[in-house]
Amino acid sequence: MKISPLAAGAFAGFLALLAGVGTALLFQTPAGTPELQGGTALPQPRPLREFSMTDHTGAAFGPERLQGRWSLVFAGFTSCPDVCPTTLALLQQLRTALAQTGPAPEIVFLSVDPERDTPERLRSYVAHFGEGITGLTGSAEQLEALATQLALAYVKVPTAGGDYTMDHSAALVLIDPQARIAAYFQAPFKADTLASDLRRLLTPA
Amino acid sequence: MKTPAAALLALTALLPSAALACPGLEIAGGWIRLAPEGAGMTAGYAVLTNTGAKPLEVQGARAAGFSGAELHRSWVENGMHRMSSGALALAPGASAALEPGGWHLMLFGPPALKAGDRRTVTFECGATSASGLFEIRAP
Repeated sequence: MKISPLAAGAFAGFLALLAGVGTALLFQTPAGTPELQGGTALPQPRPLREFSMTDHTGAAFGPERLQGRWSLVFAGFTSCPDVCPTTLALLQQLRTALAQTGPAPEIVFLSVDPERDTPERLRSYVAHFGEGITGLTGSAEQLEALATQLALAYVKVPTAGGDYTMDHSAALVLIDPQARIAAYFQAPFKADTLASDLRRLLTPA
Repeated sequence: MKTPAAALLALTALLPSAALACPGLEIAGGWIRLAPEGAGMTAGYAVLTNTGAKPLEVQGARAAGFSGAELHRSWVENGMHRMSSGALALAPGASAALEPGGWHLMLFGPPALKAGDRRTVTFECGATSASGLFEIRAP
């Protein structure tokens, strides 16, 4: 298995952030940080720095596009037949369920396969799962810059016949309306657990 | 080893189809996820049970209208989604679910399909095989 330096960097960042989250949880659990059933809320939301991606319509997508709404980021790729469609379908069910009682997050599908995932390809892919999903792609460097900030890792893995697949983080990242990382959720995802956690986080006390 | 393998293939080609069944492999609840437009691949799921008296190894598959099929497994390791191809061993009496997030049929080159369509999927256990009808479901 070859690990590209970019992916290795992202993975190192991911580990560092996990360690950071773990440490934060061990040594300071400020009152008011919700305890989640299926994830971890950051005691101190972490603002995203500048980044520059392209969405599935071909439009520029930077931190300003995350302002004013909750977003749930999932890393994947369109040549992923099992986990990505399963997760996107589950996230859509989740959105529908949440929207009945209160706020629901936008879904951001961050492609970790910039070689194959053009905006055009992302467009038909996200449309398949319904409204409210934004597909993001960019150059390898743009992707690395954002993925590292989000602590999302990805590794290109060659398969038989000269093809490849992508290993990628199994986490969902919740971004708050100030474009800050608010929480992480770990796979396997359960719709009920996610819905209950998100209701607590998204509904103003 | 080329000649014996070729000879075996030639031999099995001559046998009546009933003799070709993966002995005792039962396929239940088969479905295929409707692929997004333009997608190069999708996945299929079912419950496979070895109702026979001997161990089975499901090594490959093919699906009517698709350009290729393989058995794959998805799993989470150290917080990462990973996937690889493989063969599925079934002891006598054992069942294995091909399900989202686990073992699944990786289906390449989907034909134009719509929800409710059905396609035959054939599982291969060495020289023998067993088929089932899979329903297309969206999304």
